[in-house]
Amino acid sequence: MAFTKAAVEELSALHGEPEWLRARRLDAFGVFEGMSLPDTRRNEDWKQVDLKALNLEAYAAFQQPNGLAPAGTLENVGATLRQRGTSPAVASIAPDLARRGVILMPLAAAASAYPELVQRYLFSAVKPERDKFAALHAALFSGGSFLYVPDGVTVEQPLVSQFWSGGPGAAVLPHSLVVAGKGSRFQFVDQFLSSDRQEATLASGSSEVFLEEGAEVGYVALQHWSVKTWQFANQRFHLGRDARLRMVDVALGAHLARLRVEAILEGPGSSADMKGLFFGTGEQAFDFRTLQDHVGPHTTSDLLFKGALRDQAKSVYVGVVRVEAAARGSSSNQANRNLLLSEKAKATSEPILEILNNDILRCSHGATVGPVDPEHLFYLESRGIPHPVAERMLVQGFLGEVLDRIPVPLVRDAVEQELAARIE
Amino acid sequence: MATVIPRIDVGDNYKEKYGFFDPEKFVFKAKRGLSPEVVKEISWMKNEPEWMTKFRLRALQIWDKKELPTWGADLSSIDFQNIYYYLKSTEKQGKTWEDVPADIKNTFDRLGVPQAERKFLAGVAAQYESEVVYHSLHKELESKGVIFTDTDSALRDHPDLFKEYFGTIIPPGDNKLAALNSAVWSGGSFIYVPKGVKVEIPLQAYFRINAENMGQFERTLIICDEDSFVHYIEGCTAPIYTTDSLHSAVVEIIVKRGARCRYTTVQNWSTNVYNLVTKRAVAYGDATMEWVDGNLGSQITMKYPSIYLMEPGAKGDVLSVAFAGKGQHQDAGGKAVHVAPNTSSNIVSKSISKNGGRTSYRGLVKVYPGAKNSKSFVRCDALLLDEQSRSDTYPTTEVDEPQVRIGHEATVSKVSDEQLFYLQSRGITRAEAETMIVNGFIEPFTKELPIEYAVELNRLIQLEMIGSVG
Repeated sequence: MAFTKAAVEELSALHGEPEWLRARRLDAFGVFEGMSLPDTRRNEDWKQVDLKALNLEAYAAFQQPNGLAPAGTLENVGATLRQRGTSPAVASIAPDLARRGVILMPLAAAASAYPELVQRYLFSAVKPERDKFAALHAALFSGGSFLYVPDGVTVEQPLVSQFWSGGPGAAVLPHSLVVAGKGSRFQFVDQFLSSDRQEATLASGSSEVFLEEGAEVGYVALQHWSVKTWQFANQRFHLGRDARLRMVDVALGAHLARLRVEAILEGPGSSADMKGLFFGTGEQAFDFRTLQDHVGPHTTSDLLFKGALRDQAKSVYVGVVRVEAAARGSSSNQANRNLLLSEKAKATSEPILEILNNDILRCSHGATVGPVDPEHLFYLESRGIPHPVAERMLVQGFLGEVLDRIPVPLVRDAVEQELAARIE
Repeated sequence: MATVIPRIDVGDNYKEKYGFFDPEKFVFKAKRGLSPEVVKEISWMKNEPEWMTKFRLRALQIWDKKELPTWGADLSSIDFQNIYYYLKSTEKQGKTWEDVPADIKNTFDRLGVPQAERKFLAGVAAQYESEVVYHSLHKELESKGVIFTDTDSALRDHPDLFKEYFGTIIPPGDNKLAALNSAVWSGGSFIYVPKGVKVEIPLQAYFRINAENMGQFERTLIICDEDSFVHYIEGCTAPIYTTDSLHSAVVEIIVKRGARCRYTTVQNWSTNVYNLVTKRAVAYGDATMEWVDGNLGSQITMKYPSIYLMEPGAKGDVLSVAFAGKGQHQDAGGKAVHVAPNTSSNIVSKSISKNGGRTSYRGLVKVYPGAKNSKSFVRCDALLLDEQSRSDTYPTTEVDEPQVRIGHEATVSKVSDEQLFYLQSRGITRAEAETMIVNGFIEPFTKELPIEYAVELNRLIQLEMIGSVG
């Protein structure tokens, strides 16, 4: 079924959603229909994005039935939610967490069970009006997870959502909505996976994360869609007073992986640590747009996006640091480092500063593009290490800076394995 | 005890020093606005060959079709039909200052141009409104074959050399304002330095707008033949009017194998001038191009001097300093395009914003496939002096060749409290300390200027001690 109003209604019925959510989906669908694809020549936000080969008509809104998520249990996690395509998700949560009021459940179920919470937050950060893909996502999101951690609750073990694509030709548009109560502490993982590495799909994988006063949240998104996936995702974080965010984005899959990552530092004293890691092979293209928006005073942010490109892989990084007039005493850092491992690989980097306030501690950014440093190679080789081994060591070291910062061992190990395979 | 209070305030005394104006006198003034008739009239007045008239008219068509840039500064308030595109103030060009009409000579006297010429320049051009009114070059350089003349005379006197290079670096279709300049250009400098000739003393051009609603569209073409060297300096000022003037120049530079060209600008237009300039140089094998670009005046400046590194060993430097005070937006930067292997570029930008001014660095580093072992480094530092001011950095890096090293670093900061505290604890007043810090901040720029200019620049930035109290 193509992207139609009927598909929206059918999907809403399939998940047994309440009327208000169905109405919201339909509104978003109206926005979707009223918009054209972004103009990649004129629209600054979409410049350098190659959409020529994209044919939205080729994708079904969903495919039913599309089977269940692969079975298997994760060790050392507090709660899991698993979903394949548009099939309703299955969640499980450790009893003691449930007792303390932690909620991890399918978004559709939460819309009925906790309508006020979900209504208030859902698509308030990632708005459908942003572009045609965001509208499509809001109209036809496949489901997703709703995580709520009450005030003052600390969760030691990571909470994990896993989304699998729903078969070739079907769109898969998961959405995560996370609300971190005052002073809560936890780590949340979004994993986006394809069972078949070659299937063609249209995907999103968006998330909205709200950190209330003093919340400390670790967020990891591991994007490992098939290499024929078109991904258009938006992540947005809103930080309250003294909230602390540590997030890592890992991009390994997709034909085109477009990801907006935006941290809105509204609360005084809030801070965001943002990391990105990518490794492109074949004809993969990555497109990262980041925003560190300092709204409140005494806010700090530190961003590092690092990646390696091999074969004909490409990456575009456009990042904005914005320090608003009221953000006194703020400081910000932004860095994008690209390692080119082949003749045809290409990286474009555009770090942007917009500073509207002079009472800043320091704002800086940096970008580098280049191959493995020949001096470093020479040093290792002069110590008797063969060239390929030396190069591998340097690439590992380069990526290790971000890899080591992934707070969840489960994800870190998986990424490490995949990277090792790509470095070979 | 007398206390000296230093101040940092661009444009504070602008009115007295540069902002004066002479009664408008002209021998010819084109109709207000832009039309094929105006363009034809300019060409006719200049008695140009037919190919140039055609070139101008074709450029006007391109101007009509192209859109103004949607990025950068806000240009929507320019009324292009309210501008005078051509104004000729005097019938003939002077070879000595005595030949120049008294009131115009008086203007340049007040600006200190003849004094500077006597002291440290090898050649001087002075442009008043649309035409160059004075031109001189040391006899010795002339005998070596150096050509330094205004661009209109070059078209007349050196037609082959002119036609070979004119419009080849910046064709009219390059951007809307280049098309405008190509249609109505007048004046500017033409320089040719023969093989192996080194012009050790700088050549200078001074651009002055006097009339209200004036558009100045000078066109400069510099050709440095193999292994030659030239340093060209331009300065510019205008009176303060309540309505806007437009300055839109095109500067094309060819630096051949082994040659070096340095182009220094101290732009100090009054704050009612829109300064929208296209500057580009091509550097061939082992050649060096250096842009030293200081932007202090104007209401809006959009200017990104660029260097195309065409052959192995070519090197390009851009050193850009911008100061934005009240109501000013300096959108400046630099571009380096690496076409050949073993080329290097270095862009350094220093900007200062004060009293609600806005500075933006906008730049491009592009490396084409095959430009192996190229190196490029871009460094932008911005200083914000108060709460209302703003600074932006928009660098773009496009790399299509993996065997290169490309880096970009930028910082935005205020005058550091610690540095201030340190200086104040040594008995230096806060204002003095601030001045010292700002001076140190732009030092990489001032030290690249000839000493007389460095002094002049300090005067412009008015990091001077004003008044004495008690």
